Amino acid sequence: MKCLHSSCCRVVTVSFTAVLIVAGINELKTAERQGDVASVDFARDVLPILSNKCFVCHGPDSNDEGQLRLDTVEAATEIRSGYQAINPKSPEQSELLARITSVEEPMPPADAEKQLTPAERDVLTRWVKQGGKYAMHWAFVPPQKASPPIDAPSIRNEIDSFLLIRMKQKNVSFAAEADRRTLARRVALTLTGLPPEPEQLERFLSDNRFDAYEKLVDELLDSPRYGEHQARYWLDAVRYGDTHGLHLDNRRGIYPYRDWVVRTLNRNLPLDQFITWQLAGDLLNDPTLEQRIATGYVRLNPSTGEGGAIPAEFQMKNNFDRVETLGTVFLGMSLTCARCHTHKYDPIPQTEYYRLLAFFNSTAEPSMDGNKYEYGPVARTPKDQVAWNEWSVLLKKRGSLIRQAYNQLEQNNSLEGKALSKWLESSDAERLTMLADPESAGSQFKLTEKAANLQSRIKKSEAAFTTTLVAQDLAKPRATHVLKRGEYNLPDGAPLHPGILKVMGNFPEEAPRNRLGLAQWLTSREHPLTSRVLINRVWQRVFGEGLVRTPEDFGLQGQQPTHPELLDWLAVELQDSGWNLKHMLKLMVTSRAFRQSSAWRDDVSDPENLLFARGAGFRLDAEVLRDIGLWASGLLDPAMGGEGVKPYQPGGMWKALAHPASNTKNYVADKGQLLYRRSLYVYWKRTSPHPMMTLFDAPDRESSCVRRSRTNTSLQSLGLLNETQRIEMARKLAERLLLNSNSDKARLDQLFELLASRQPGSMESRVCLGLLKNMKQRFSETPEDAMALLSQGEASRNDKLDPAELAAWTQVAVTVLASDVAILLY
Amino acid sequence: MQNENPIREHELMVTRRQLFGRAALGLGTAALGQLMAQESHGARRGVLPATHHAPTAKRVIYLFMSGGPSHLDLWDYKPGLTKKFNQQLPPEVRNGQRVTGMTANQKSGLPICPTKYRFTKHDNNDRGLWVSELLPHMASVAKDICVTYSTFTEAINHDPAITYIQTGSQIPGRPSLGAWLSYGLGSMNENLPHYVVMHARTNHPEQSLFNRLWGPGFLPSDHQGMLMRSQGDPVLYLSNPAGVSSSDRRVQLDALAALNNEQYKRFADPEIVARIRQHEMAYRMQTSVPELMDLSSETKETFDLYGDDAKTPGTFAACCLNARRLAERGVRNIQIFHRGWDAHGGLPREHGSQCKDIDQGSAALIRDLKQRGMLEDTLVVWGGEFGRTVYCQGNLTKENYGRDHHPRCFTTWMAGGGIKPGITYGHTDEYGYNIADSDGVPLNPQPSKETRTPGTMHIHDLNATILHLLGIDHKRLTFRYQGRDFRLTDVHGHVIHDVIA
Repeated sequence: MKCLHSSCCRVVTVSFTAVLIVAGINELKTAERQGDVASVDFARDVLPILSNKCFVCHGPDSNDEGQLRLDTVEAATEIRSGYQAINPKSPEQSELLARITSVEEPMPPADAEKQLTPAERDVLTRWVKQGGKYAMHWAFVPPQKASPPIDAPSIRNEIDSFLLIRMKQKNVSFAAEADRRTLARRVALTLTGLPPEPEQLERFLSDNRFDAYEKLVDELLDSPRYGEHQARYWLDAVRYGDTHGLHLDNRRGIYPYRDWVVRTLNRNLPLDQFITWQLAGDLLNDPTLEQRIATGYVRLNPSTGEGGAIPAEFQMKNNFDRVETLGTVFLGMSLTCARCHTHKYDPIPQTEYYRLLAFFNSTAEPSMDGNKYEYGPVARTPKDQVAWNEWSVLLKKRGSLIRQAYNQLEQNNSLEGKALSKWLESSDAERLTMLADPESAGSQFKLTEKAANLQSRIKKSEAAFTTTLVAQDLAKPRATHVLKRGEYNLPDGAPLHPGILKVMGNFPEEAPRNRLGLAQWLTSREHPLTSRVLINRVWQRVFGEGLVRTPEDFGLQGQQPTHPELLDWLAVELQDSGWNLKHMLKLMVTSRAFRQSSAWRDDVSDPENLLFARGAGFRLDAEVLRDIGLWASGLLDPAMGGEGVKPYQPGGMWKALAHPASNTKNYVADKGQLLYRRSLYVYWKRTSPHPMMTLFDAPDRESSCVRRSRTNTSLQSLGLLNETQRIEMARKLAERLLLNSNSDKARLDQLFELLASRQPGSMESRVCLGLLKNMKQRFSETPEDAMALLSQGEASRNDKLDPAELAAWTQVAVTVLASDVAILLY
Repeated sequence: MQNENPIREHELMVTRRQLFGRAALGLGTAALGQLMAQESHGARRGVLPATHHAPTAKRVIYLFMSGGPSHLDLWDYKPGLTKKFNQQLPPEVRNGQRVTGMTANQKSGLPICPTKYRFTKHDNNDRGLWVSELLPHMASVAKDICVTYSTFTEAINHDPAITYIQTGSQIPGRPSLGAWLSYGLGSMNENLPHYVVMHARTNHPEQSLFNRLWGPGFLPSDHQGMLMRSQGDPVLYLSNPAGVSSSDRRVQLDALAALNNEQYKRFADPEIVARIRQHEMAYRMQTSVPELMDLSSETKETFDLYGDDAKTPGTFAACCLNARRLAERGVRNIQIFHRGWDAHGGLPREHGSQCKDIDQGSAALIRDLKQRGMLEDTLVVWGGEFGRTVYCQGNLTKENYGRDHHPRCFTTWMAGGGIKPGITYGHTDEYGYNIADSDGVPLNPQPSKETRTPGTMHIHDLNATILHLLGIDHKRLTFRYQGRDFRLTDVHGHVIHDVIA
């Protein structure tokens, strides 16, 4: 986060000491009781103004040349040649008051880019008059659980209580509940990224028990589709891609990491472990393969193999990227500012940035990728979910075989001396070899045949393994220095020990000074940000917008939470629940708030839904749009994991950009089932992701994205109505409708059941049947056009169906699939 | 701009919602239609309520030479080098400049490599312009262009350097120049996208391009450049699928609008209204884009001007002609990327072919705009991400050589849109290695982005100047992301008034 003044790029070497020391909001509240002016909340009302309008000159990085600082209470109240910026004893005498209203010597100066508004001047004035007390920025104070403020019949859980109290202040309450069909569609899309299965919907609708909805939620949380959908958000944040990103943008081998994320979310691994494995799985005691795969997180930075590039420069660039991504993903803050100088707004000294960087500076891979699929440390791993399952079964068998041997050992002490100690020291793989070898001491367990058989199956399975990039530290760490202006060749001062950002709590006692310690710091209960930042993003995907509307910035310049107590309650609940993501999601989707109708209300003027007094409504993500179509048409291939898949793409898109030496210059679409895999698995070339993804706001994954934009463009219209796969889906969906029923009405009902989880309204029926009639006539007059339309995409055509009718229904299906009935969450 | 309310500023979606806001609620279909009609009359507005000052350029056409054209073989005439053939570059000339890994350790050292091309001097409105024989057509527009010899950057490798000049940062993630313009100024027409990118054909497709060069970074993604392609549909997914006619589509869109209208009745979300409008614009594009791409109405004189190449889709000349047609139709922001300038070896062969690709088309574009009275408010920019070294990479003969990357000075030119015509700006030393004063003495200290040095043009200055000509103060077109008000020129950049009329 560099800043706008050119002066901010000077290097600040002074040590950073104070941070907005808590002086007590309670005292402010006292002032409120005493005074007749409305009291000011420093953290909520004052600090954002100081940060945005004053810190550019009087902030954390302005400590030299006797410049006044306003970011700490000590500095602001310091007696300076005859005046105090803030005079706590006689607030009226405060220089700050004089200057912000001065005509001769105004602050900010007349030529400053940012001026105070009258409202801001009023807040500052009231604040100073009330004593000018400071408090810590809210996001740096560890969250505490407040009791839910009110109870009311409309409340279903704690979430609702925190929301309702604010609504009541505005004299509104929850919107009516959405009807059960709409709710079922909404919750299924929210949790799994797909509409409810028709049978599932039917079961839910006919289940009159009080917990029918909870049962549906549990079912959805248990579906393997859940992990696939939730993984997407994480992959955006950590910038997962299938290519290096820079220069040749060649293939890189790291998709087992993506599959690990899916598997792990499905298994509901506690999020603190989810984080720890990714940052430091390799540093855990005797790490498992999964823990090592998880460290692919550390290797996701875009990398280059450009001829002539200077390795030392990229060693640092790679690390900048890692530190700054860590900032966005876990701390909800940009640390980029502190790369070159002490942060302009947030209390982060440049030294601490480089201490944080030191955690990553000693990984063993070369700084240049050599344009290779594998570079630096890799782990060997099964190549997709089926292979993973098979291999896991074999390992279980191995475990039980070895247990059998142990049992024998306990009973008859059959191994002695050297043979015994060798057995005890060996890994399971080595023990299996011993069991399988008729010549070794292990043969006396009489498991030779079984062991040999198992071993050959394991070998066969492992021979088909692929590789994935992992993290590993050098035996001898690299020295890390502060870099002047962030220039790789301008180290400054003594080497730094790895360390954390002090404003966010202490490094846990006895934690190792490596990535594992870093993970322990992030997941400790005292950490003020990690749990808040993560749960805010979970909220955002469930309710459409976060409680903090700037999920990428919880710093002084970011937005305040709309419901601070709720955010904190959720953050602590996340920790209390054992970092249980499914538990948190269930809380959210079973709340009264989630069940509200998403229709805009005549009685509430809240276009941004800051009150959450209506349900979420938004255009679904690129992947979901495609998946819904594949699912409805019956084309969706449920297979999980494996190398990225390549659906249809207009010709020449990669070639137009790629280096002639790049191994991703030719896009060759896949054949058969791979065309119909979930969009999560679509190959992600970072310099040119699939156009149907980027058209609908998917990020390029070159940098962290914790919130996608949701745009609405004419090019999207063209994509929805003309793209090959969408036509293919529509015609297979049309086949499904035609095969299922003989009446157009029933067919239309099924179409709406699938896409909207409800029957069509009378107007919708009229419109669709009108279109159908028009198209039937049109295609029966020109059968060659029908055949042309029905030849889109690779999937075979059912030639028992009348082409004109099928083509007409295809047009209806394309249209409904492109309509807001299908592409919105509501 | 000031960020008084940064809450939703980077979600134009919601901005639109606020625009419609309550007004859209509870209205009947008729009112809805009226609302849409109102919105669709004016094309989409940018975030700036008005430009910061009166613009001299309404639109910009940026001819980007990806790979780093050799200033020494094209523009920056250094006759004194002939005598120094194969001599080592004096260390004091290099003066600490880092050398890429490709020539850092070459056995031949850093041998001076004079250009093999003949330069001739052409009248301009100043002291004349030297142009290499590789660019005969460009020489003929010497009176229209302003050539800058002292453009410079810090980046020394392609990926960071291209990303830097197009986004203001060497590391991916920032919005591109074009996305900033789209964000700031919006669109001037409603039948075509506001920001169009073309990739011109080359015989040397070396080096990569990246979506990020016309990408939105952290801006809403509808500010990304739209690729206008020469293969397949000129605009992705423009054509109806086989078997679907335009009248079928009309029927289909009417049904779609009716369905969406029902959805609007249920939920009253104003975004639904906006989407109906986008479907209609898409329908109009299906007519306007083919009309745009159809060159049959162009005269023989025009083809004489651009050359026969212009009849072949995808050539640089064809892209230039398209650029003029787009400009005529109100597209504000057009970029043509031409790759293949990275001549580490065999420079004469490669640059010969590259110049042939671009020379006539570039000159024709200027003449064509001029004769139509459009040059005065159309800014044309030409340049790459860096220059090339005076020393040779690989084998050096008088006829054949290669050159490595050179960030410390390189040549770019601009024309029209308020640029002083027919001048040159800045100087380099006798080696074409350092930015120098008018006597050829290298500036000391080295120019840097940190301070403004007269006679120089850092890439941030170039971008600041482009924005200025379009009426934008580069310091005031900002977007808050992660707490910082970002801008194209980072914390740098100066408008170079010396080149502005």
